[in-house]
Amino acid sequence: MTRHAALDKTVHRDLRVRTEIGAALGDAVMATLTVPNEFRNVQGHFPILFRREPGRDDFVALALFGFENGENLFLDGARWDARYRPWSLAIQPFLIGRPESGDGPGHVHIDLGHPRIAEGGEGMRVFDEDGRTTPFLDAIAERLGALDAGYRASGDFFAALRDHELLEPFTLEVPLDDGSQHALVGYHIIDEAKLQALDAATLGKLHAAGHLMPMFMAIASLSQFSALVARKNRARHG
Amino acid sequence: MNGTVEKVVIVGGGTAGWLAACSLAAARPGLDVTLIEAPDIPTIGVGEGTWPTLRATLAAIGLGEAEFLTACDASFKQGSRFDGWVDGGADDRYFHPFTSPPDAPVGELIAAWREDAPDLSFAAAMTPQVALCDRHLAPRQRAMPDYQGAANYAYHLDAGKLAALLTRHATQRLGVRHVADHVVDVLPDGEGGIAAVRTREHGDIAAGLFVDCTGHAALLIGRHLGVEWIDRGDVLINDRALAAQVPVAPGSPVASQTIATAHEAGWIWDIGLPGRRGIGCVYASRFLDDEAAEAVLRSYIAAALPDAPDVAVRKLSFPTGHRARFWQGNCVAVGLSAGFIEPLESSAIVLIELSLRALSENFPASRAAMAIHAERFNTLFRYRWDRVVEFLKLHYALSRRDEPYWRAQRDPAHVPQRLADLLVLWRDQPPSAWDFPQIDEIFPAASHQYILYGMGFPLPGAAAASDRARAAIAASRQRARSLTAGLPANRDYLDALRADAGARAALMEGH
Repeated sequence: MTRHAALDKTVHRDLRVRTEIGAALGDAVMATLTVPNEFRNVQGHFPILFRREPGRDDFVALALFGFENGENLFLDGARWDARYRPWSLAIQPFLIGRPESGDGPGHVHIDLGHPRIAEGGEGMRVFDEDGRTTPFLDAIAERLGALDAGYRASGDFFAALRDHELLEPFTLEVPLDDGSQHALVGYHIIDEAKLQALDAATLGKLHAAGHLMPMFMAIASLSQFSALVARKNRARHG
Repeated sequence: MNGTVEKVVIVGGGTAGWLAACSLAAARPGLDVTLIEAPDIPTIGVGEGTWPTLRATLAAIGLGEAEFLTACDASFKQGSRFDGWVDGGADDRYFHPFTSPPDAPVGELIAAWREDAPDLSFAAAMTPQVALCDRHLAPRQRAMPDYQGAANYAYHLDAGKLAALLTRHATQRLGVRHVADHVVDVLPDGEGGIAAVRTREHGDIAAGLFVDCTGHAALLIGRHLGVEWIDRGDVLINDRALAAQVPVAPGSPVASQTIATAHEAGWIWDIGLPGRRGIGCVYASRFLDDEAAEAVLRSYIAAALPDAPDVAVRKLSFPTGHRARFWQGNCVAVGLSAGFIEPLESSAIVLIELSLRALSENFPASRAAMAIHAERFNTLFRYRWDRVVEFLKLHYALSRRDEPYWRAQRDPAHVPQRLADLLVLWRDQPPSAWDFPQIDEIFPAASHQYILYGMGFPLPGAAAASDRARAAIAASRQRARSLTAGLPANRDYLDALRADAGARAALMEGH
């Protein structure tokens, strides 16, 4: 159960956070949120897909770890089997909180119901004995800031994709070595042919707005699918 | 005799005997290892402090760290703290941490320390480990792989429990034969070595190599082979100890280091385990009688643990010294049979480990090579014992305390010449690998730097603070902040470990 609270150096003075890897700590997820300013980091490790949020017109970008709910092919017991951990996973159990209006500066909040909240004396401290933020929290805050900035800027990015009709539905049939099939349904990818066909002036505008590079990064990330399928085959044979 | 050594007999159990059995059996799987142990002789609890080498030793013999920690009621040791050694004043304390200073010339580090971090002691500026010790933090998290940590560490342990664990491990997992019997005679081989030992109930037991782990009795190397004892009591004058075990309250902090507190005629050890503190008073009988020593010990306990019950005190008398040779014929002395030096800096178990490592990596597979191995071993370990004696003497030689005992400790007539020479050199240059060139020095240059600059020895003035030294000291400060945020308290770590072990045991019983 989630229980959000604004992080406070007095209330949370002795709070500790578990930083190990594990299914019980919330790592057994099929995908995690990513943002255009992170695509460059993500594309070398995971496919990036787009999905419409249920009941809304907005899209979100996801870094894909598996083919079915709860399947994370990069989670190997207590080990994260990739050289990168997307921001939205790395910052858990922290999040950015804002006033009801949705505007104004964000503050670091914490989900006190998250399994990463440590009980007992083990785990990373968030504040030191003098009430100063620890280097651990400093690093989290930096990632939270980048994630928040990326998320707030992503509206423009998706608007540009929509304006130029650059998103196409994507369904992937994944044939596995043992003859079975898996299907990924309900996702979108960037339509590479349409993107390539845009005229120079349009491309120039997209580039000036900072959207062009993340678009190509998302396209490049699709080459990670073959590696992901190989992981899936290994997992089934293993 | 066919000239090859296929069988080893270890005489004597205890830490030395069982560590020898485990080390030789694990390192040389084809070797036939037998340990003969008198069934009714109590083992002396040799020092409960260890050296970081023990981690590699335990890993090499195939023991898991969690199993070791729980079975031996062990805790982490990250170094030693010396209270009252310089002048006995209220603020008189310094650290000898196990983690070395950063990788930069020490002269430059000293200059950078004086300019950029004058608020910190030498040790605290050189390594984040002091910050961990000040907060009773463990050097590792439980999720880390066995025997790895964020700072260099060893253990405090219950030596009796370690011997029991090693006995089980050797006999149940490593195929060591355990003979519970008394050795009543030693049969010579006619070549200056030993052919067999005669036991009360198991007849004569022959072997190609014998390891003497019979403690102070030195049954093989001393009594039978007659290798003489070299007394070092002229340099290290303590000859008595009073030992106590004081129970601690559940949940109380467990110290990260051995605390050695100087008193008028010696020092007091204080070693924190999860369930008790081992506290003992080391003294020179020439300067303090037993009754006065017990009063010193009891007043320390009363101050450190005001609610502690009245505990029994065990008295030990010890000679300081070592054999002239540790390997004679086909017999190697390991442990107290090789020598004994007061437990300041916990050199007993590390000397056992280093002896066994030298023996198993240079095993006399044939009789022909025996004498060559013996000579190399004797040269190496004479070097090691000399360095231990000098390093311990350094702790006394730099004191400014005024009692007769401390003045006697500083008497130039009883300071080894090599140490006196080094102290002259160290006025101009810091201790370096030029002074301690062996691989696996027990106490490398870094250890000497921590003692010297912890005790206020004059700093060599030549070097200037370089950018790399400044950066290293700033990085150490930052790392202290990161580590203190992420490491659990010793108490929390050890309690969680025992809770897990208990849960696992309950699960096994359920099946």
